[in-house]
Amino acid sequence: MSHHLFLLSPSDTPLYSLTHYSTKPIPSTGSALTSNLPSWSTSAFAGTLTALSGASSATQSHHVQGGAARMGGGQDRHVIQMIANASLDVVEDVMRKDGAMYLKSVDKFNEWMVSAFITPGNMKFVLLHEAKNDDGIKSFFNEVWELYVKTMLNPFHTAHTSIRSPVFDARVRTSAKKYL
Amino acid sequence: MAQQPHPRFSVMSTSSLSSADALSPATSTTRFSLPSVNTASTSTRHAGPRPNIFDRSLNKTRTTEVSTSAFAFLFSEVVQYTQKRVSGINDLERRLNTLGYRIGTRVLELMAWRAESGSKAPKREIRFLPALMSIHTQVWKAVFGKPADAIEKSVSNEDEYMIIDNEPAIERYISVPRDMSQLSCSSFTAGIVEAVLDGLGFPARVTAHNTPVQGHPARTTILIKLEKSVLEREEVFKT
Repeated sequence: MSHHLFLLSPSDTPLYSLTHYSTKPIPSTGSALTSNLPSWSTSAFAGTLTALSGASSATQSHHVQGGAARMGGGQDRHVIQMIANASLDVVEDVMRKDGAMYLKSVDKFNEWMVSAFITPGNMKFVLLHEAKNDDGIKSFFNEVWELYVKTMLNPFHTAHTSIRSPVFDARVRTSAKKYL
Repeated sequence: MAQQPHPRFSVMSTSSLSSADALSPATSTTRFSLPSVNTASTSTRHAGPRPNIFDRSLNKTRTTEVSTSAFAFLFSEVVQYTQKRVSGINDLERRLNTLGYRIGTRVLELMAWRAESGSKAPKREIRFLPALMSIHTQVWKAVFGKPADAIEKSVSNEDEYMIIDNEPAIERYISVPRDMSQLSCSSFTAGIVEAVLDGLGFPARVTAHNTPVQGHPARTTILIKLEKSVLEREEVFKT
């Protein structure tokens, strides 16, 4: 089961992204769509199509540890980015009316659920996930927020530029392991 | 002076300790007549690995304060430095505003984190008036240690609001020469306010003006001119 985290600036520029593979088991969701796909779908567009149709074939393949066919790690990355980007419209609609920072499951796309966290300074944290895990995700977002505030306070960090601190990266990975 | 700090300003920065570290080489020079107290302890402190900013608690400096004299000295250098690089008063005010803006973005995030991170469902400010109120009280308290003195709404223009400070702390030791009487060093504060409003999604142009009255010669008005989009957004809430 994979999670994809994106940190976006107020102008929707991605500043940081992380793909996390959880060791927790995947809920078995069979998809009838894959079998219905025409045979040509195994060609160049295969990755995109299976991902867009919510196919389980790709989801199963990342059991193979270290395999190149991991979802989101290789050629399907652009699909993940597209889903995250598409969810921004919904996120922006909701955040205008809702004062909560944590917006749980604001958007859904096939097997992907999109949760978001809006900081007071209008930074958006967007997380793509496959299973419901509200409390875990909330705690995860809270830790990422704290780490982000610490990054912001660094006088050598310019606001709304990409976050390249290795320590930040390591910390986010640790809390992803802990909560997701 | 350094031994008896005036506890008037609180600090929004978490780097008060590490900045002391960074400045410590100055203690050994003779240019500043600082007491050479911890030359021994600084050398031992540098021996270990550098502390990481991600290891520090964000609440560590919640109640710490910085001395007014130290800040006045720093701010006077800031103004002088800026003044050497500009051609006019407008330019100088704009530069001070930019410097304040950098502080404001940080103040906003840190202040909100301190207030909300403990709560179960952290909230953001989405209406303008509560946001303005929280700038008047929370931001002012966090930065200057006391709330501002008043909020006013312009009668003639509905997109203009004013925050009034009778005795701005950053101008306490500044006397502006007569030929520059237009200048208000509170442009720095205006920058902070602008950043906070921007961050909350209320883009505005914020300027500072001297408005002395009887008894308060340093009274300063922070004028907020909201962008059209903010008013439109507020209209949506009314219906």
